Amino acid sequence: MLEFRPIGELEYEYNADLGLSYASPVRGVWNIVHIGTLVPEAHEIFVCPTSCLRGVVLTTAEMGAMDRLSTITVGEDNILEGDMEEALQRGTERIIAELPVRPRAMLIYTSCIHHFLAVNYQRVYRVLREKYPDIDFIDCYMDPIMRRTAPAIPSLWRQIHRLLKPGRKVKNQANLVGNCFRYGEYCDLTVMLRQAGITVMDLNTCRTYDEFLRMAASEVNFTFHNTAVRAAKDMKLRLGQEWLPMRPGYDYDAIDEDMRAAADFFGIPGLSPEEIAEERRLTEKAAADTLALLEDTPVSIDYTAVDRPLELALYLMDRGFNVESVFVDVFTEAREVFEALQRRAPELKIYQSLGWNIRRMERGYPGKLLAVGQKSAYFKDTNFFVNIVENDGMYGYRGIRRLMELMREACEAEKPMRELVQIKGWGCGCSFS
Amino acid sequence: MAFDYQTHVFTSTYTADVSGVCSALYELGGMSVLHDPSGCNSTYSTHDEPRWFDTDSLMYVSGLDEITAVMGDDDVLIRDVVQAARDLAPRFITLCGASIPHIIAFDYRGVAYLIEKECGVPVLPVATDGLKSYVSGVGLALTAWLDRFADPGETRNARPGSVNLVGVTPLDFSVNGNVGKLRSALEDAGYYVNCCMAMGDTFETMEKAYRAKVNLVVSSAGRRPARHMKKKGGIPIVEGLPIGPEQTGAVLRAVADTMIDGKDRTAWGSFGNTGRWTVPAGGVLVIGEEIFARSLANAVNLLGGAPAYPFWPDEDEGVPEAELIAAMRGAAVVVADPLYRVALKRDGGTRFVDFPHEAYSGRIYRASLPVFCGPDFSVRGLLE
Repeated sequence: MLEFRPIGELEYEYNADLGLSYASPVRGVWNIVHIGTLVPEAHEIFVCPTSCLRGVVLTTAEMGAMDRLSTITVGEDNILEGDMEEALQRGTERIIAELPVRPRAMLIYTSCIHHFLAVNYQRVYRVLREKYPDIDFIDCYMDPIMRRTAPAIPSLWRQIHRLLKPGRKVKNQANLVGNCFRYGEYCDLTVMLRQAGITVMDLNTCRTYDEFLRMAASEVNFTFHNTAVRAAKDMKLRLGQEWLPMRPGYDYDAIDEDMRAAADFFGIPGLSPEEIAEERRLTEKAAADTLALLEDTPVSIDYTAVDRPLELALYLMDRGFNVESVFVDVFTEAREVFEALQRRAPELKIYQSLGWNIRRMERGYPGKLLAVGQKSAYFKDTNFFVNIVENDGMYGYRGIRRLMELMREACEAEKPMRELVQIKGWGCGCSFS
Repeated sequence: MAFDYQTHVFTSTYTADVSGVCSALYELGGMSVLHDPSGCNSTYSTHDEPRWFDTDSLMYVSGLDEITAVMGDDDVLIRDVVQAARDLAPRFITLCGASIPHIIAFDYRGVAYLIEKECGVPVLPVATDGLKSYVSGVGLALTAWLDRFADPGETRNARPGSVNLVGVTPLDFSVNGNVGKLRSALEDAGYYVNCCMAMGDTFETMEKAYRAKVNLVVSSAGRRPARHMKKKGGIPIVEGLPIGPEQTGAVLRAVADTMIDGKDRTAWGSFGNTGRWTVPAGGVLVIGEEIFARSLANAVNLLGGAPAYPFWPDEDEGVPEAELIAAMRGAAVVVADPLYRVALKRDGGTRFVDFPHEAYSGRIYRASLPVFCGPDFSVRGLLE
């Protein structure tokens, strides 16, 4: 078969996201439109050719958020006459004039074509800022041609947080940065901070623009995803906020280390050795309960569900689970994890979900299979699947236990896979089904 | 007067030429390659292609990146497409692209030649630019396909009463039974449908596309291939869409007349518009693809009552939103895709009739898209 290769035959540098690519019908992962609409009271403007606009407009329409987006189409005349700046300024001014409610902020997305035509959009933003001082303008980018050096989603997280202005810090306030989902009861960090009286702020729980702006006063930013790294580094430089990355994996020692760093930052007591031992015992029990239910049921994991699919595969295999395959296009996890998995299970199937041959893959599996993630569910054609994207707000021991709970639920009750996986931006409020 | 086609404060956009190319050739056993960084392929397969989940037709994006574009390194694309063709054995390959290939003057014809030479599979260069609507893309793709694979000499084998339906894609007709109704509207009147370009027909049927006495253009996307076939094979053209009994009658009469005299025709009358974007107030405004809008407006006018006026996007520029909103606010009734409702949000005087159009709202209202082709559709019922 051409659509997968055993991990034992792969190089760590393997990358399926190069060259000719396939797009499966699986749509759960959030895109820049979903993320941009998290900013309360803001309006998005996309400036690009028709072919690029189509996707963002309909993403917004499916969210029922057309009142939060306007567009400026780039046409042949703009290319020939070099008047992209004028079109951008004129269009933005018209949009501001016609919107029924004046936005607090405008996220203006330029596209690939602007880079190639050397458009001086910063000058336009300067003019707009002078003319409309009550609106915060921020440059955003929908430029997949730059994805090797400046991928769109990390760039957007950074740009969104550039709306925050430097100012005085408030003690005992922390930000969670770069999350599509609320990190609450299934996140060890949030639970620990809240129990210690620390205020935890997150863009996706902010209801007003002013509330969002108060994130600038936090002392520290915690991140759970690689896509948030650019934002956190930028906020450290610009706002003077410390940055503590929390590794979203399944290695108990790494969890303890990151949690200790968080506790030390605020000078609060972290978990005692006894409490850690109890957390580990409960987590092992959750894994054992899950294994008892699944028995030898094969498991397939994909990268859209969890940030560290290889680490999860290793975690499950170490506890006796039958992991059949992993869907992943680029290895972003530590080389040690990759090599450990190569030694542990050299026959483990690695599927390229973007590879051209997967289009003709015979979807399905002989017998019951449990999928963790929508892509695994689609390609293995199973209704027994954990329907999550982007870790779904899970972190630490609580996160692992929640994942085990979701796996047990998925093993016992089928879901309408066909309908669910085609919904764009799972959890963002899209109404299409 | 200069119109602002570019700024859309409230309204959506019609799908682009690249989606039109992929949609038009989807069922013919080929492989479409969209030369673009990323995104256009998932836009097409998410919003514009209702057949994507259940079929295994081949459509890919080339994954163009900055350095490849700057260096003009076409070898990356050629290598990948040749290898994919060897793995998947498509009957032909279509090479189209979006705005970046356009501005770096990507040589579609030259690269198509090199790929074909390397792998032996016919390659159609379709030089789209991502700036125009699907009408352009469908037209360019079907024309390129016919030019390469259909033999104009087949006109001598055309049987009496044979008709092609030209410009048929899910973007205008979805997959809800419209195409079947379209065919049966002609067949029930005694005509033989030689070819439906390009839904429900095969590569082999399409090869014999010139075996027709009349090309019935049912969407504006069909104009370009129909004109090509007229030039190459002399097949006369009728433009019109059978919507409801009265308009079906008008279309059938136009086809019958053209069968006899070989002259090109349209199956609608005059609408009395005062300008391209100016519509008299107080009537029924039909917004949509041109031949659909003209045909439905004509169908309304054939019923009598308030006059109906068509309003359709320009293939290159789209719709100027200010004029669109003015026309909508002046109308007594607007028949349009539900996504146009946002333009009337603050107005209470205009009645809005939902008429979903896949090329505009994608999959959002697919489930409520009506079967509007043929004599069974009630135009009167639509307006009640």
